[in-house]
Amino acid sequence: MWILFCLLTGCGAHRAKRDLIVLLPDPDGKVGVITVTTREGSQKLDKPGYATEIGNLDKVPMPPRPLNEKEITDVFGPALLAQPDPAGRFILFILHFEHDTTKLTHESKGLLPEILRTIKSRKSNEVYVVGHTDLVGTEAYNIELSSRRASHVRDLFISSGIKPNALFVSFYGKARPLVPTKDEVPEPLNRRVEVIVR
Amino acid sequence: MNQKGSKRLLFTIVTIFLLLYLSLEGAGLAAYASSPAGIVKKMSGMATITRQGRALPATVGLEILENDTIRTGRDGSIGIVFNDETLLSLGPESLLVVDEFVFAPKQGKFSIVIRMLKGTAAYLSGLISKLAPESAHFKTPTASIGIRGTKFVAKIEGE
Repeated sequence: MWILFCLLTGCGAHRAKRDLIVLLPDPDGKVGVITVTTREGSQKLDKPGYATEIGNLDKVPMPPRPLNEKEITDVFGPALLAQPDPAGRFILFILHFEHDTTKLTHESKGLLPEILRTIKSRKSNEVYVVGHTDLVGTEAYNIELSSRRASHVRDLFISSGIKPNALFVSFYGKARPLVPTKDEVPEPLNRRVEVIVR
Repeated sequence: MNQKGSKRLLFTIVTIFLLLYLSLEGAGLAAYASSPAGIVKKMSGMATITRQGRALPATVGLEILENDTIRTGRDGSIGIVFNDETLLSLGPESLLVVDEFVFAPKQGKFSIVIRMLKGTAAYLSGLISKLAPESAHFKTPTASIGIRGTKFVAKIEGE
């Protein structure tokens, strides 16, 4: 019976057996990046609703293509419905700096009161302070600069009454630009300290 | 019963209790060895957690540990919140393993490795993807997915 069914339908569903990965927007509307890699190569997904299919480990994932909402909910409806509520998980702030300094830009200085209010109102004892630079200069120099930037923000927080043991400082130099650029390109958006308040 | 016999009996009883105590203590230590990685927040239908070869029915509030295998039935779904706020949910007839989970900010140690074998899943990355993106991995039988702070869904055909 099944063979007959197969003959009639060509077993299309069986032949089309492929894994499917779809990038979705974050709950706050931002869109991240995922890279899907098989033994033969990889595809980058960076647009919401775009999907790649994978036939098997020995094939490059297929080029990204958009799926509509119905196609997504038809397959992923129950999994998406089971997602826990993302509200209030953590809040990310980004502070920017003047070129080659630990001096906050004017706008970023203006952001400090809001960050402090957020830390205090959430009674957070997990605040991550993560330093970064743009891609101008050597790796070693930028590691040191990103460390100074993060420490500067940490000190500002402590002098505003945040407990030192609630602050987790790390720094990555030029390794993790927010805006990808070529080496030695000045980029104000990359000179930053990210503050994540849980 | 002569004195010698009762002494031997006493000795046997003490030994049994000692062994019992040690084995309980051992189990306690084993439980400590993997601290909770997350907690079940949502459930519908049938889902089980397989831990050290034993299947437990999943319930809201159940802790998820490193190395747990999570499986959903034909009408089942489950939503998990990990300690770093990663949100992971599964649709029906799905199977995945929490291969690694470490979230220790004081030690600067981070790792999340999810191995999906079958079914459908939705994943919203948490703090590990923000703080140590190179330490967040989602593996499938055909591919590995590098995650930079984002949400995605995956359907895996399995065997």
